[in-house]
Formats: sequence, structure tokens, C-alpha cells
Amino acid sequence: MSDRIVFDNVSKFYGDVLGVNRVNLSIPSGITSLVGPNGSGKTTLMNLMTGLIRPSRGDIRILGLTPDQPEQLFRLVGYSTQYDSFPKGLTGYQCVSSYLRLYGFDRARSEQLTWAAIDRVGLRDAAHRRAAGYSKGMRQRIRLAQSFAHNPRVLVLDEPLNGLDPLVRAETIALFRSLAKEGCHVILSSHVLHEVDIISDQVILMSAGYVAAEGNIQSVRSEIEDHPMQILIRCDRPGELASRFFAEDHVVEVRLHNDRRGLLVKTQAPDRFYLLMNRIALDGFEVESVAPCDDDVNSVYEYLIGAEEPTR
Amino acid sequence: MAVYKRSYRPYSGEITPVWSRFLVLYRFSRRNLFRSKIQTVFFVICLFFPLLCLLGIYANSHLSALAFLGQRTGPFLDVNGRFFSIYLDVQAAFAFLLTAFIGPGLVSPDLANGALTLYLCRPLSRTEYVLGKVSVLFITLSWITWLPGLVLFFVQASISGWQWMWDNLWIAGAIVIGSLIWIAVLSLAALALSAWVRWRIVAGVLLLGLFFFGAGFGRAINAVLRTQQGYLIDLSQLVSIVWHDLFRDLGEPPLSVTEAWIALLAFTSFCLYLLMRKIRANEVVR
Amino acid sequence: MNHPVIELRNLSVRLGSREVLRDLSCSFSGSTIGLLGPNGAGKSTLINTLLGFWTPSAGSAHIFGSDARTDAKKIRSLVGYMPENDAFIHNMSAVSFIRLMAELSGLPSETALERAHESLFYVGLGEARYRKLGSYSLGMKQLAKLAQAIVHGPKLLILDEPTNGLDPPARQRMIRLIREMRDSGQMHIVLCSHLLRDVEETCEEVVILKQGRVVHYSNLADERRSNRRFLELELEGTIDGFVDAARGLGCECAPGAFHRWKLVLADNVEVADIYRLAAERNIQLRRLNFRRDTLEDIFLKAMESTNGGL
Repeated sequence: MSDRIVFDNVSKFYGDVLGVNRVNLSIPSGITSLVGPNGSGKTTLMNLMTGLIRPSRGDIRILGLTPDQPEQLFRLVGYSTQYDSFPKGLTGYQCVSSYLRLYGFDRARSEQLTWAAIDRVGLRDAAHRRAAGYSKGMRQRIRLAQSFAHNPRVLVLDEPLNGLDPLVRAETIALFRSLAKEGCHVILSSHVLHEVDIISDQVILMSAGYVAAEGNIQSVRSEIEDHPMQILIRCDRPGELASRFFAEDHVVEVRLHNDRRGLLVKTQAPDRFYLLMNRIALDGFEVESVAPCDDDVNSVYEYLIGAEEPTR
Repeated sequence: MAVYKRSYRPYSGEITPVWSRFLVLYRFSRRNLFRSKIQTVFFVICLFFPLLCLLGIYANSHLSALAFLGQRTGPFLDVNGRFFSIYLDVQAAFAFLLTAFIGPGLVSPDLANGALTLYLCRPLSRTEYVLGKVSVLFITLSWITWLPGLVLFFVQASISGWQWMWDNLWIAGAIVIGSLIWIAVLSLAALALSAWVRWRIVAGVLLLGLFFFGAGFGRAINAVLRTQQGYLIDLSQLVSIVWHDLFRDLGEPPLSVTEAWIALLAFTSFCLYLLMRKIRANEVVR
Repeated sequence: MNHPVIELRNLSVRLGSREVLRDLSCSFSGSTIGLLGPNGAGKSTLINTLLGFWTPSAGSAHIFGSDARTDAKKIRSLVGYMPENDAFIHNMSAVSFIRLMAELSGLPSETALERAHESLFYVGLGEARYRKLGSYSLGMKQLAKLAQAIVHGPKLLILDEPTNGLDPPARQRMIRLIREMRDSGQMHIVLCSHLLRDVEETCEEVVILKQGRVVHYSNLADERRSNRRFLELELEGTIDGFVDAARGLGCECAPGAFHRWKLVLADNVEVADIYRLAAERNIQLRRLNFRRDTLEDIFLKAMESTNGGL
């Protein structure tokens, strides 16, 4: 399909060292997040996606094009790496425009595109200062500008929000959303899981070179069958509430919280559980909060990849 | 039975005196120094010549020891200012090489990965840091320059008697001061290079180059401009002039002693300035 | 006499020709405070001033009663600092390095070695403590930085972006450590971070800087305790009828992202009433909690209010 990025049984080895192993993916447009511990193969996957390295085995097709068609492919793809370095002596403006010239745009068009990109990241005032004197956040934004200045259809971003303050984060996320709405494939990697939760349309979890899970996060969650849904409820009479829950057949475990003001429920049928809550809550319980403990990337991550690995 | 949980424990024990903190740097550097076999061996080699001198002094006066060797039974060494001047020349060369080994690795590892911030966020001022690093070189080089030199002096004094010692006390002073000057010049040059140049080998080569090129260019300038001022950039020559003065060597120095002192002072101050520029907790980028 | 942990009185700091901090006044005595602000707001400068690296051009900064301008050494013996950037010596083993740092902070030699081992175990680097720091991964280097900051048992810990670049398990470990240290009651912590989640999870107070001034101060613990009228809901099902009915009861409703809704309960409306509405319409209340503003809302509001609109 020529509107997707397709990985077909792709493996990449660096000598004996594993990059990624037997990856099968089909990525639609929208915002896709790559999540996984350091060393799990995210950067390798990104390098494969942008055609910078070739797979040891398997095929990659990016919107119908292969890395064997570099002239067309590289126009479609933009890449922002995690490495924080710039050619010496260039100003912010020059950083963006010099790369644009490589695409074959003439001077006028290149200038126009550069300013459009710089405006989009909000660096117009600082564009003529040296990039080496920028703060970390500004350097990150200039790298972003560089990556989408030529209006690519696939944007691959390695930890794009690193070092950005909350305000700029929110603006950058809005930028990604608008790009995604225009039909772009935005692929970004991030360690900040709750952000990934909020901004992604789909998620790819990687672990040790394998794809552990991919898709929309809710559907991934519901597919992990051996883990019933955990919900934390805080109320005034947790013991009594617990006994009401035990009467249901889909509740597999109820645990009282240490502070005696809450309980943790594990249920195999969350929908039924919530509708049940509606009725039970009317029986005089003072409900303080209800929170699913694992409906998010964080918990899926923990289940599939593991929490707090010992230091290697 | 008790179950011990490991958790964060605050510290309220004794604290070492503030003035002695710079010696911590010396202790840690010393450990690294003698970890390398080559450096240890070289350090030992540096002590051969003093040992030789010691044997010479001893043999000089205990002639009977030589009788069985069939040598002529007269003192063959004249232990005077000239003797110690030669001793210092030789040891200075060794000191130079030893500094080229040790010096470059003193400051650059701290700067390479930002560890200096951690040093300075402790009760350690920049001066103390520099003092600590200088003390590494100072102590190590002292072991091969004026300390053995003084030992030789006092051995000779114990052989020759009080009168000889009083008459020649100025030699002891010359040994100490001469060594200190050389140590100061070497240390500061090495530290400044270590602070500005990242790679140890390059810094070591530059240190060697500093002296040799200085000498070479100095002579070239002298030849071309027909002057003696070229020696102002020849560090070994400058130090040599000062030593000849200290050891009361006769002879026409190419520059006046005062000029030599001033030039050396300027050089060491410049190195110190360069060093302090690099020793900062953080850089301000414009 | 009980001094506040940090006290700033009209503190101004000038770097070169720029006035980076202007007339800052603030007092902190709690257990943890988050220091937030956009890039260039002066957070690093403030930290550097507290450590005595920059001198104030006006005003004063006192830590535990000592003036940062004159008693820098005394302050530094009470403070542990974890910088944002890399800070390690490539060829030294972790234990040697931490021991060096401890000795420089004034601990006697043997005690320094004991505490070096202890603090490395405490942060979780026990297995790797004899390896050279140059061989450590990023997460381990961050933990090593934390270890050197706590080895001398400081009373104030300043952490600058502690979870920077850490993957989720490493980040959780770091957050857990910070919480443990906070709960031990033995030290005060200043946390400087862009990740509001980290600050929310660990800090009780928050101060927001912008362009060198304090634009906001919050006590998160207090805020969590009050505000019983504001609900945050995540709904599943046909929502519109529910929202209309809630509005009909007098509650204000505003949509958030991804099925989230913010509700302001009218005076005579209780949570039970909301549940009744949900039961009637077969709506699932997947998430419910009392929350007025997230830290993100507070931050964005603080930024806006001084700009007169972004």
C-alpha cells in the first residue's frame, strides 16, 4: 500500500551485534510513537526507515518507494537525530537553508521554505545568531525545522522533545498534530510515556531488537489477555466495597490499599465493571477517585518489557 | 534477630580540616601515577644518577675502597658548586621527561567530561584545585631534584666537616632554589597544556615542543637579527642563566640575570593565567 | 535558630551585560520544591548563584542562614549538586570517583570509602561499582551523579534534570529514589526539570521563573487537599446526553483531550448524582478524580499571564 511505511521481515545486524530482528510493520499516517529501553533498536529502526542503512534481510517500502530510489525517497523523508551537534559557525538560518539547497531548491524558494520552517518552530528572532550559542531547547527546535523544511511526507524524529520546556513542548506537540493532520507520517521516539499516551495515534514498543507490540494503545492493552485490568478506587468504606465486588464473577482480585482508604481491583471485563460501579456508587459510598492503573503505555510497557531492569 | 534495611543515612561524623583538602588531589593522582609500570620504572631510573653521585662522593673520600681496584689513590671528584650544577642539569632533564609523562593527564580528564563542576561545587576553591594539581608535580619532581640533591650535600658535609658545610651552604640554597624554579616552570607549563589540550599524547608532545622549539626559534632569531634577545623565548636557556648565577659559575651569560628572572616570571604568570581561564565551573556561551 | 532552607531577598544577578535574575524574593523551608520555567528563565543561573559560582549584583541569597556571597564554602559542604550535563572522569572506577568526591567534601579517607560503597549501592549501581565510569550507560551515569551528590550526606540536594535521557525503567528508579530521600526526612530537595510529571510526582511546592522573576508559587500538597468541587472524568459511551444532563444540574463541563472532561460541581450536586446520571445512560466513568489544575495548566497559565497572551 503506498500510503504506509512497510517493513517486511526486516533484520539488521552489525557484525554479530543485533540491531533489529524480524520486524514486521505497516505504519499508517498520523503520529506513531516508538517506545523502548535504550538499546532496543529504535535508532536502528529509524535509520532503516530513512534509508540511511540497509537491512541485512527483508524489504522496506516507504510510501511505495524503496531505498533503491534515493532521488525520490529522500525528498519524501525528513530526519531529526538525537545528536546535538552542528557544523561550526553556522547561524540558525544557515543550518536550515544550506540543507535545503541540497534538495535542488533555488535560492528564492529555499529562502521561502527556510523562513516558513523557522517561523513554525518560533525561532525567527534568533535565526541569525550562531547555532552554537543557542540553548538546548533552541537547538532542538532548529533541528526540527531542518527536518521538515522541505515538506516531507514522512518525518522521523529521534527524541524531539528532549530538553524542551513545557510551553515549547506543548507547542511542538501541536505542530506534530497539525503535520499529522496534513497527511504526514510522523514517527517519533520518546521516553516520556505519559506524553506518548496523549499524542500518539499508534505506538510501537520495542525490546531487545524485537517489536513487542504495535497498534493503538487501547487495543494493545485489551489484547494482553493474561493481565486482567487493574483499577484503583479510593473511597471511604473500601472493605464493604470490596465485598460487593467479590460477588461479581469477572472480578479476579481485590486488594486493600495500605492506607485503608482505597482498593485495587483486577477484573477481566472492564466494561461490565464500570457499569456495575455506576450502580454500586449509588448505595452511599463516597467515591474519591477512580483510576485505571494500566490503561496506558506505562503499564503496557511494564508488562511487555519489564519495570526497572537491574543496571547492566 | 534484627533485619537491617539499607536506606539513606545522613553524615554527622568528623570533617577533615579545610586547608588539607588540596592534598586529596595529590593522593588520588599519586595512585594513578604508580599504576602504570612504565611510569614507575621511569621514576626509578630518574633516581639512578643521584645514586651514582652518592657512590661517587663516598668513593671519593673512602679511598681505601678503591685500593683493591688498583686505582690511583687520590680524590677524583671535586665536590663543589660545579659538581652540583651538573647534577641539577642532569636531573632537570629527567624531571622534564617525567613531567611530559605525568603532566598532561592531570587536568584534561577533569575537563573532558565536565567533572570540574563537581570538584568546584564542593568546598574547594579554584586556587585549591590548582594547588592540588601543582602539588602532584611538585612533590614528585622534588623527589628527583632537590631532595636527593640535599642528601648528597649533607653526605658530603658529613664527610668534609662543619667548615666545609658553612663555606658551601650557598650551594644547598642554590640546589633548592634552582630546582624550585625548574619545577615551577615545568608544572605550570604542563598544567596549562593539560587544561587546553584534550589528548594526553598531544599535550606531552607540545610540552616537549615548547622547550625545543623555543630553543630553536630563539637561536634562529638571534642569528637573523644578530641579537641575544632571542633567548627570551628559550626557556631552558633562561633557566640555565639563572642557575649559573645561583651556582656562581663564571662566564658571560647572554642575557642579564634580571632579564632572565623577569622572562621566567612572565612565562609562569602567563601559564597560570591560561590555567585559571580554563578552571571554571561553567562556561558562558554568548 | 531555625533558618529557612533557601531565602532569596531581592536577588539580582547580572551576567555580562544581561540581567538574568531580577529582584527575586522567595523563601523555601519545605521538603521538596520544584523549580520550573522556560529556557532562559534563569534557573541555571539561580542554581549557580546558590552554589556561589556567580555573585549577586544586588540583594542576597541565604542557604541555611549562610550568605552565598561570603560563605560559599560552608554552603557547599551542606549542599549536594547533580548537574544536568555529563560530569564524570572517564578512566576512574565509580568507587574511586565517589570516594574522591567524598574526601573533597571533607570526609576522612576510610569513611569516604565506606560511604562511597554505600551510596553506590543505594542508587542501584552496586553491581557495577568497580567498573570505569566511561563504560557506563547514560542511565548509570545519571545515577552515579546522584551518588556523588548524596555521598557526603548533604542537607540540601539540588537536582538539575535528573531524568534527562533516561528510559522509563531508569526514570522510575530515579523518581523512586528521590521520593525515598524526600520521605526519609533527612534532606531538602530542589528539583529543576522540564518534565512536569516528574515534578508533580515528587515535589510538594513549586516555583515558576520567567525572565528572571518569580511568576508563580504553588504548594501542590495544599492544592491537592483542597478543591473538592473540581472533577476530572474520563467517559466511555454516548457522552452528549450525559453532558447535557450534568449541565442541567448546574454543573459546568468542559472537554479535555481524549475523552476527558472537566466538571465543576454545583453546590448541591455530589459525586453520587453524577453516578446516577451515568447509570441512567449506561456511561462508563473510567476515570474520576478531584483535581483542579494539573501542573501543566498551572504552568501554562503562569506563562500566559505575564505575557498578556501568548
